[in-house]
Amino acid sequence: MWPIVLAPVAVPVLLEPTATHLACAHCGDACPAEPLRLAELPFCCAGCRTVYELLATSQLCTYYALGERPGLKIKEVELPGRFDYLASEAVQAHLLSFRSAERARLTLHVPQMHCTSCIWLLEHLPRLHAGVVEARVQFLRKEITITYLLADISLPEVVQLLASVGYEPQITLAELGAQPHRASHTLYYQLGLAAFAFGNVMLLALPDYFSFVEDLQAGFGRFFGYLSLALALPVLLYSARGFFRSAGQGLRQRHINLDFPISLGLASLFSVSTLEVLAGRGPGYFDSFTGLVFFMLIGKWVQQRTYDALRFDRDYTAYFPVAVTRLTPAGEQSISVQELAVGHRIRVRHQEVIPADAVLRRGAGQIDYSFVSGESTPVARAAGDLVYAGGRQLGEALELEVVRGVSQGYLTQLWNNPAFTKDAAGPTLETYANHAGRYFVALTLLLAAGTLAYWGPRDQATMWRAFTSVLVIACPCALSLATPFALGAALRVLGRHKLYLKNAAVIETLARADTLVFDKTGTLTDPTQSAVQYHGRPLLVAEKQLIATAAAQSTHPLSQRLARELATEALPLAACQEYPGQGLHATAASGQALRLGSAAFVGAFASPPAQPADRLSLRASERLPLLSKEVSEPTEFSTQTGTPAALMPATTTGRPACADGPAGAPETSVYVALDGEPAGYFTFRNVYRPALPAVLAALGQRYRLAVLSGDTDAERPRLRALLGPAAELRFGQSPADKLAYIAAERAQGHTVVMIGDGLNDAGALRAANAGIALTDTLTNFSPACDAILEAGELRQLTTFLGFARACLRVVLVTFVLSLCYNAVGLTLAVQGRFTPIASAILMPLSSLSVMIVATLLVRWAARHHHL
Amino acid sequence: MTIIFLLIGLSLLVALLFLAAFLWAVRSGQYDDAYTPSVRMLFDDEAPAEPATPVRRR
Repeated sequence: MWPIVLAPVAVPVLLEPTATHLACAHCGDACPAEPLRLAELPFCCAGCRTVYELLATSQLCTYYALGERPGLKIKEVELPGRFDYLASEAVQAHLLSFRSAERARLTLHVPQMHCTSCIWLLEHLPRLHAGVVEARVQFLRKEITITYLLADISLPEVVQLLASVGYEPQITLAELGAQPHRASHTLYYQLGLAAFAFGNVMLLALPDYFSFVEDLQAGFGRFFGYLSLALALPVLLYSARGFFRSAGQGLRQRHINLDFPISLGLASLFSVSTLEVLAGRGPGYFDSFTGLVFFMLIGKWVQQRTYDALRFDRDYTAYFPVAVTRLTPAGEQSISVQELAVGHRIRVRHQEVIPADAVLRRGAGQIDYSFVSGESTPVARAAGDLVYAGGRQLGEALELEVVRGVSQGYLTQLWNNPAFTKDAAGPTLETYANHAGRYFVALTLLLAAGTLAYWGPRDQATMWRAFTSVLVIACPCALSLATPFALGAALRVLGRHKLYLKNAAVIETLARADTLVFDKTGTLTDPTQSAVQYHGRPLLVAEKQLIATAAAQSTHPLSQRLARELATEALPLAACQEYPGQGLHATAASGQALRLGSAAFVGAFASPPAQPADRLSLRASERLPLLSKEVSEPTEFSTQTGTPAALMPATTTGRPACADGPAGAPETSVYVALDGEPAGYFTFRNVYRPALPAVLAALGQRYRLAVLSGDTDAERPRLRALLGPAAELRFGQSPADKLAYIAAERAQGHTVVMIGDGLNDAGALRAANAGIALTDTLTNFSPACDAILEAGELRQLTTFLGFARACLRVVLVTFVLSLCYNAVGLTLAVQGRFTPIASAILMPLSSLSVMIVATLLVRWAARHHHL
Repeated sequence: MTIIFLLIGLSLLVALLFLAAFLWAVRSGQYDDAYTPSVRMLFDDEAPAEPATPVRRR
């Protein structure tokens, strides 16, 4: 046996459409050699044609004119009764935001919408069904609000309608708990009020600043003063409330944050002005006061605008289904997942998620744990095996018996860890701004005391004026604007490069990180690619064609990959039958018979690779302790066809010595037998992401690196070479182990950034100072984290971290700038020469210049880092 | 110069009207989504040529 390397390590993911292939009129994918046709237009599959037909009948073909190939491929197999649970009263009570005798309204999350065409089609739903009265899209949040008539259409039908055009809404357990979130309007109200007061108070204060209207001031000064007071009062009570509240919260936690000096400054500014107005001594500083609040609220607003469509707080409930089919003696019954109890029998169909740890009672399980572990190859389970929650069944329907409640499962109990609850207490993050704020307070109080001591014996009147001026200047307005503007600009730069941060504070954490921890499968390795190698007797061209053609018939990821790999001309097949969970059997027109699949299916294999799977090497279940027996040898053969069946991978670690190639993780194998004779087997190994060596080498120079893997340590030498001798490599880690490791690192005083992808990294992502979730498509599920990074951009990680550090330097520079302004102000203040005019000039000038300088410097830093 | 009182009162009234208009706009959700309306306004209104095509359900 000798290996034949069929392709280089990196395999192109997408089909290269050859010249003969036509693009599908609906989705734009390449059509098969004999495309389905409708009125001369080619379609790649029946699903696409059905959607096109549906849209054409309703004259909605504008859809195809607006965007570039907007159509979504219909992947999911239609199952009768899939949306039946939506008919239940309890579910509707949660989902509907409005309901009257004849109409109802609800908001659904449709992550698939991506272009103008999507908006257009979704808003024209009423044309597809008369029962839908109105459909409004919120594109940035990927939400659609639908109003429908109860008499004409039911909720399951509405969802079915969306699904039939390719926009199946995501309805998950999390959505049931909370109504679609309403954007908070408070900041807008506060901002509007502050702007109104600022503008009017400034106009009233103008006579103060110009000597030629002195008589006007003499006559109306008092009136203007009272009016300003009246205008500034709501600003103090409503607009500035957030600052006072945050300062109070900080004090209660014995912690002085930046809002404390701000509150101190605002309070003294307001009270000094009020006293002056009431005593008739002058107009006060109301224009500065309202202006400050206005500018600082703008800073807050800039900081608040983040990514609406992305959710950074998702736990397993966001991924788990709402309802599950329970089997009772009386028949099938749709119940809410929360009602699921130990001992219940449930049915899980193709593409459904297993909601709780359960024992498989009937059916061949092909369970895709890619959301949990990042591994895309499904794992096989036979009757009697324990299956863990979070997997997605591919293939025939399963019957399961629940052994643990939904929240007590092996995976889900991770969320009972205190790491997930402590966060609500408030931002404990030690930001630069808060740090600076503390020194600022100390300095100001010192200066104020010094002023009292100096002027006290000399001049009582000046003493009070100087003292209050120092407190007024204590408002570090410019200082508080530096961070939001610099980091807000940085947030947008990173967003353009597909690193989406939860908030601006994450940049500071990234900049100060000293330890980077990676997950292996799905993070360092690329789940969409694999290196395919063939071991066995050489294959003839016709044999390769036969294998490729047969494999192309299957929807199983491994056969798809194999078909892509071999990419030969199609061969006419006389027969092709799939055996779910086993493999497939095909006969060529020439009469040659092929069996492709697991070792057991293909036939006895005398050589070492055919040994039963080593349980430790089961890829997809890698992080789940296996209580099951050997899975590669199913107890019974199911001959059922019709369900999208799957090849079952035989997983082996018994690699022939000569197959020890350079790439990837231990492999998964697919065996081939031709005319009843075993011919050889294909191995599929995960490959590391292409740019990884360079990225890790660059990072290794600056950071402590670690890899936490749920796998066996078969990859240790390779990872050691990639990460260098100092890196920590841990294998066989459970989700809880990962969390504990991160917590221990933090306890030692390290700032840890965790980069992971699956639900099993959720604990580690949460425990780390900053957790970055890697995702291949943004609409996919990602666990709770601080940042979401598109997987392809991992190669830019070094640049991102460098940019984060540069941004922190920008913040420091703007701090210095704003402190200069404060120094000028304080110099005037201690001499008792800080007049309302000086204040009215200094405050807006400092605020505006800090905003501009911060934004420009960040832009410059971005260009410097080629972002 | 007493007219100043009246003028300032009137100008404040106008400003208050604008403030009220802003608050109403926020309240009615006009600031919730700043993107979709910009796309929506470019869609052509095209009435279906033949009314009430039969609805297909799958």
